[in-house]
Amino acid sequence: MHEVHVGEDLRERNREIAGENRELLRKHGVVSLNLMSAPGAGKTSLLLRTIPLLKEKFRICVIEGDIQTRRDAERVGALGIRVYQIQTGGVCHLDAAMVHTVLHQLDLDSIDLLFIENVGNLVCPAEFDLGEDSRVMLLSVSEGDDKPKKYPLMFLESRLLILNKLDLLPHVEFDADKAKAEARDLNPYIEILEISCKTGEGIQNWITWIENFYKNREVS
Amino acid sequence: MSNLLETVERAASKEGAETIRVIHLRIGEMAGVNIDALSFAFDVLSKGTMVEGGKLEFERVPLCVRCQECGLDSQMNDFIFRCDRCGSPDIEILSGREIEVDYIILDDECDSGQEKSAY
Repeated sequence: MHEVHVGEDLRERNREIAGENRELLRKHGVVSLNLMSAPGAGKTSLLLRTIPLLKEKFRICVIEGDIQTRRDAERVGALGIRVYQIQTGGVCHLDAAMVHTVLHQLDLDSIDLLFIENVGNLVCPAEFDLGEDSRVMLLSVSEGDDKPKKYPLMFLESRLLILNKLDLLPHVEFDADKAKAEARDLNPYIEILEISCKTGEGIQNWITWIENFYKNREVS
Repeated sequence: MSNLLETVERAASKEGAETIRVIHLRIGEMAGVNIDALSFAFDVLSKGTMVEGGKLEFERVPLCVRCQECGLDSQMNDFIFRCDRCGSPDIEILSGREIEVDYIILDDECDSGQEKSAY
């Protein structure tokens, strides 16, 4: 028996492909956001709220990542925008190669804004750069206020944290200040919005956030 | 996981080996990896590969950071990204995000005559 030094990072290949994706998206002027959260936190509901408010202003495309089914793609596609479903077949996250394949099927010149809805999971998606401009994570108040320190990487890697399901606050023990403080411990630069996809509360702030993000990305 | 198997099989083939006995991984405290899930996937997916029956070892790498303001290096245990000394949020991660294959141990049974390439 003998030992062989390998010293290889297992994310290296993903990083290379993510870099290609990023270059491709920039070349065609597509601004992209990677939406991440635990299952059921409201990623699809957020898109269903968001798209009608933005689709006159931006040409929108959505990539849906799910382990199984086309349900999310069907719900979002009903809004009359282009939707591509990636079924990962058991894999708990999207990776750059999956997105790369889809990007080559799209007419990128006819897209302004691309939402990538990741597989519901608070761990692995954070490790896989897809080539997006920025990462947005959702945390619903019913998940508990102790999540930031339990899933630190997701909070560290996100530019924006959206606290969703504000309408449930009276019914659950969720200390929003504690959750926000823990998120800021992990990522002092994280931006935070509070919304309810059910009632529409705070949605306008999210729309404004996207518009500003788009404007600043265009300039940079 | 498929990346892991590809990486170690490539490294082992380069050495002319046919069987991998041990894969030693370095996993950072801050890495988004569930070790139980990884071990389970390894048991399932390694069947029929050079690694079948081999052992997956894990070494945890502590989260170490450097303050970009005052230069203090420290080990972080509480996930509070502010400098212990000056309070700056401008923190660089030095280690603790690793997901890497450090080394593998190969079985030379089939190629005892080629040991010279091994050391």
